[in-house]
Amino acid sequence: MLELKDLSFSVPVEIDGEVQEKVIIDHLNFTFEKGKFYAITGPNGSGKTTLARLVMGIFQPTGGKILYEGQDITNLSITDRAKMGIAYSFQHPARFKGLTFRDLLSIASGTDDEEMILALLRRVGICSFSFLDLPVDAKLSGGEIKKIELATTIARNPKLAIYDEPDTGIDLWTINPMVRLLKREQLERGTTTIVVSHNRAFLEVADSVLIIVKGQIAYQGKLENALTMLSDMSVCSYRHCDKCSGEEDAECYR
Amino acid sequence: MLNAIDRELLKTVADLEDLPKGAYNIRKDGKLLTRATTANIDIETYGDGKGIIVKIKPHTVNESVHIPVILSQAGLFDVVYNRFEIGEGSDVTIIAGCGIHCGGPDPEGHAGIHEFIVGKNAKVKYVEKHFATGPGKGKRTLNPGTKVFLAEGAQVEMELTQIGGVDEAHRKNELILGPSSMALVTERVMTEGEQIAESRNTIILEGAKSRANMVARSVIKGDSVQNFYAVMEAQAPAFGHIECDAIIMDRGRNETIPSLKALHPEAELSHEASIGKIAGDQLTKLMSLGLTFDEAVAKIIQGFLR
Ligand SMILES: Nc1ncnc2c1ncn2[C@@H]1O[C@H](COP(=O)(O)OP(=O)(O)O)[C@@H](O)[C@H]1O
Ligand SMILES: [Mg+2]
Repeated sequence: MLELKDLSFSVPVEIDGEVQEKVIIDHLNFTFEKGKFYAITGPNGSGKTTLARLVMGIFQPTGGKILYEGQDITNLSITDRAKMGIAYSFQHPARFKGLTFRDLLSIASGTDDEEMILALLRRVGICSFSFLDLPVDAKLSGGEIKKIELATTIARNPKLAIYDEPDTGIDLWTINPMVRLLKREQLERGTTTIVVSHNRAFLEVADSVLIIVKGQIAYQGKLENALTMLSDMSVCSYRHCDKCSGEEDAECYR
Repeated sequence: MLNAIDRELLKTVADLEDLPKGAYNIRKDGKLLTRATTANIDIETYGDGKGIIVKIKPHTVNESVHIPVILSQAGLFDVVYNRFEIGEGSDVTIIAGCGIHCGGPDPEGHAGIHEFIVGKNAKVKYVEKHFATGPGKGKRTLNPGTKVFLAEGAQVEMELTQIGGVDEAHRKNELILGPSSMALVTERVMTEGEQIAESRNTIILEGAKSRANMVARSVIKGDSVQNFYAVMEAQAPAFGHIECDAIIMDRGRNETIPSLKALHPEAELSHEASIGKIAGDQLTKLMSLGLTFDEAVAKIIQGFLR
């Protein structure tokens, strides 16, 4: 349902006074199948977020094509892609001054009907309704804003959902419910799901694991066969998993 | 008694579909149009009809006063002086506002000085909206001034909004806070075209344990200019915060100067200020939820000024 054809993205950077091209996504080819669950992992700075942004239309590729349900969407706007059913949960969600969680949910779902909004909250497993009228601003914790971000993505009823490190700042106890939620969305609604994460819980439920290194797909397939490669890359979950959950993520990943 | 233009102006500045409940004083084109008082709230004309004195008896609770001003007479510059005496222990809402309808080429304007004497432990919510409309090219000016004196334990919440259409506005707010009193001032101003809006604020934390929070939100479109100045001065162990954010669109210009003065070693004062375009990540987020660029801008501004 999503085909990346020879996709490239590079940016000009100045090194020692000379402008050079820095390649971030490097002639990448891949086809995501409809209704499957993919986990993308790989070292920091390998290009995972850039890839997601290219699919959403936030960045324009410098080479190659993106096909979605057979249609070339390479030159379509973010809005057009959103309307076609692509949704993206940002790694670092925007913080607003004034807009509330309710506002974002109603924009995402296209309704401000109270019953529908409450049904959405139940669907994403947020039980405290007081959350709804909180401004989505700098006062929210990292975990809270990631939950809101995930909820707005689900509220789109997307055909293709991309979650960029949805577990950052989320406490250990919430990871498994989050995994189950995304799995349920995939299985019950046929949502093609792509989760960028270093968390073993997401890798384990994926139909396929992609490891991205230096803007290329270094591995694609079952998790079992990727374990050696992952531990060589010292993606931290595989080395000292018990030490790096929850708030301490920052220490191991960066 | 109210014509269609009056009704539209009243709806916009005071959320009124018709004459309000409770006490009110509606001023049109420099003259009293209609007035009502209640057992607890008295309204008297002050000096030759140049203003009103609103007296609220002590312990008056859950009552409101509407005092809108509407102008639709070309060439008029209406100046009023209003005084509010709010008895101790009361809890009231005062809704003011000025709507200008400008039909011709001549300028129209309104300058209002509102003085609030808030008694011990009284609570006041003051809502003021300014708005101008009409097909005329005449310059519309609104120069409001507010002076607030808070007695011990008094609380005031002020919402000051300039919604649109006002060509020139010079606002002056002065608050003096007694012991353990509290003030929350929120100002929202949107300008466009060649409009100019200036807001000067002085908040004096005179009494011990007084607290003040000033929030200013500006949206500056077209070639308009908005300047914001706020001085927060603590003369006692008190707490004050200023938060001012300006969003610049098109070629708008802005100067923001928050200033803090601590004249007591236990004063706690802080400020946050920002000026800039709408953040790109906010726009991309809303577009990724299906909004167009223009719809995303409108939503962000709407939320910001709410
Ligand atoms: N617009 C940009 N301009 C310059 N460098 C960028 C830009 N976007 C991403 N990068 C760089 O591209 C690399 C990949 O970034 P990113 O996709 O965020 O990696 P990941 O999500 O895998 O950690 C990083 O080195 C980052 O600094
Ligand atoms: Mg990333």
